[in-house]
Amino acid sequence: MRRNVTKKINMVIVVLFLSIFSLGVLYPLVYVLSAAFSPGNGVASLSIIPFGDGFTTAHFKELFTNTNYVIWFKNTLFIATCTSALTILVASLGAYVFSRFRFAVKKTLMLTMLILQIFPSFVGMIAIYVILLRIGGLDQLWGLVLVYLAGNIPYNTWMVKSYMDTISKSIDESARIDGANHLTIFWKIIMPIAKPIIIFLGITSFTAPWMDFIFPKMILRSTDKQTLALGLFSFVTDKKNEFTIFAAGSILVAIPFVIFFIITQKAMVTSFGGAAVKE
Amino acid sequence: MGIRIKEDGSSKNKILLTSILFMGLGHIIYLKQYVKGIIYAAIEVLMLYMLPKVISKISGVITLGTPKPEVPIKLRDHSIFMLIDGVMVLAIVLLFFVIYLISVRSALSEYKIFCVQKKLKNNRDSMRGLLGKAFPIFGLAPSVGLIVFFVVVPLVFSAFVAFTNYSAPNNIPPNNTVDWVGFDNFTAMFGGDATWTTALGRVAIWTLVWAVLATATCYFGGLIMAVVLMDNRLKIAPIFRGIFILPYAVPSVVSMLIWQNLLNGSFGTVNRTLIKLRIIEKAIPWLSSDWMAKFTCVMVNMWAGFPYFMLLITGTMTAISSDLFEAARIDGANRFQLFRKITLPLVLYQTMPLIIMSFTYNVNNFGAIFFLTGGDPVVADSTVTSAGGTDILVTWIYKLTVNLMKYNYASVLAIMIFIILAPFAIFQFVRTKSYREGEL
Repeated sequence: MRRNVTKKINMVIVVLFLSIFSLGVLYPLVYVLSAAFSPGNGVASLSIIPFGDGFTTAHFKELFTNTNYVIWFKNTLFIATCTSALTILVASLGAYVFSRFRFAVKKTLMLTMLILQIFPSFVGMIAIYVILLRIGGLDQLWGLVLVYLAGNIPYNTWMVKSYMDTISKSIDESARIDGANHLTIFWKIIMPIAKPIIIFLGITSFTAPWMDFIFPKMILRSTDKQTLALGLFSFVTDKKNEFTIFAAGSILVAIPFVIFFIITQKAMVTSFGGAAVKE
Repeated sequence: MGIRIKEDGSSKNKILLTSILFMGLGHIIYLKQYVKGIIYAAIEVLMLYMLPKVISKISGVITLGTPKPEVPIKLRDHSIFMLIDGVMVLAIVLLFFVIYLISVRSALSEYKIFCVQKKLKNNRDSMRGLLGKAFPIFGLAPSVGLIVFFVVVPLVFSAFVAFTNYSAPNNIPPNNTVDWVGFDNFTAMFGGDATWTTALGRVAIWTLVWAVLATATCYFGGLIMAVVLMDNRLKIAPIFRGIFILPYAVPSVVSMLIWQNLLNGSFGTVNRTLIKLRIIEKAIPWLSSDWMAKFTCVMVNMWAGFPYFMLLITGTMTAISSDLFEAARIDGANRFQLFRKITLPLVLYQTMPLIIMSFTYNVNNFGAIFFLTGGDPVVADSTVTSAGGTDILVTWIYKLTVNLMKYNYASVLAIMIFIILAPFAIFQFVRTKSYREGEL
């Protein structure tokens, strides 16, 4: 009897603790949600109670009519899609070669890639800037795609290669006997089997450009070539504080991300766990 | 052609010599592999044709141009273009020598095959072999090209800049040239110049402290949440898990900018709320006092980062066999002992690589600092060095390049990051399957 009571009290304490913690986790998110629908501009003029100022959708209208939000969104989507598609293509092709062929400089190349993948790309950003200037890629979306793509390759080639190593080589052997060439084996046999890792690679390389700031800031100049991160940042600089519009814009980006994460939560847990064990 | 080679291996030197003399010559004269030989020879011819240009570009790296104040700006030597072109040309020359080496080795191995088989490959066989070998080349060319020009060349360039005086106001092309200065930047940063030395020490220590604290808080925050939510008596755990995952799902630029506004000292919502509730009297300088700002950075980063480890640890915990717990429970272990002796060691062991990856990620965590505090608040040396109280090495690099245009010092910092991260790179390398299985 007494044990049951202490158990119940423990439970209440745990739930209370979790609830308070949830409040802390949710507070900024709820506040931003309310700011997006509140009249006014700066964060200073907002009521401290969420949704305490009334309700308006004016900021969303403003986003679509008076700012370049749609252009930013399109640009970012374009960059993310191209980066993701090209990363999948280049990294998996390289991974296939590393996994299935023996050639002269293989060891050196693999080692170089392993060492290179620890450096953040922006360590060499001055040089990247000048190289893009040289090849006409400055202030171009494809210039940014090239930079992301190159930065993605070393780590992801290794990742996909490790996965492809686990695919039995007898599968491609039998295909070769049936007369398939390397390209067919790669595209029709290995890629479908490696689908889980390819999807993972596609998702990670698609989401990264949405949040990047340094390279777009450095490479993109003209107003019609900005990305979402740059645009959102421009709402809350030292010079002006349009927190409510920033909030509206942020929510439109964040909602798809949040929905996606909640849907894939289970799969992520297992793939993370798997990654930790397998390595 | 009447030139023959012997089958007993004694013609090895002949082949070696001709192959070294001109790329592909051994293939053409002795091995009769014309297609392969001509491709190799063509590469060398192309290289010889480009030689004057190669030499002028490489000498450009050595001189970095001469100052010509009398000519219009457009015609002056642009040291930085010269440096980058030179580095790119060096990369191409290196690539050429690698191909050269491959060609010589290929000739020797073909000769070995000839000695065993006692006959030369006919052209059709050698063509087929060539096509088989073409696939790896075709498959790796995009990767290698991109990595050489967008990763290796920039890194080498950065390393070179650390030995020049490329900085505002006196050495910014195209107006002025840049010169080699040896180790001057390093001596200035490491003791020579008091202001820069203190700033570097301060920022380097904070970078390490930050990376350790950021990783530790996120890890243990995630661990506690994972353990609490794993308790199967808690029926509403999925709801809490759903809530806790939210900060991870929001793009970090967005969440950091939100916090920056909420925590603003004078008009931020957090302070206004606390004052209204009479919890505090005066506004708390969340982001504007040195120590407070550092603390805030760690806390906000924990808010954004603990869900990752919560997910991760939940994943590893579900993978632990329940037999272990069963056996321990029979032996009379209580819940705390189960956690302390079974769960914790297993989880720690399995997530160790990811803790280390997270540490290296935090050393370079530009977003968490830049969008929250912008590196501020200003401290004693900030006016000269631009490094604020919460600046870590990467944000300082950003400020040095974008605001101060002191590229030389920024490159010294980049090299420091290299030194900090190198042990982790080695660790990661030793850990890989390929290394353990002797493939590398």
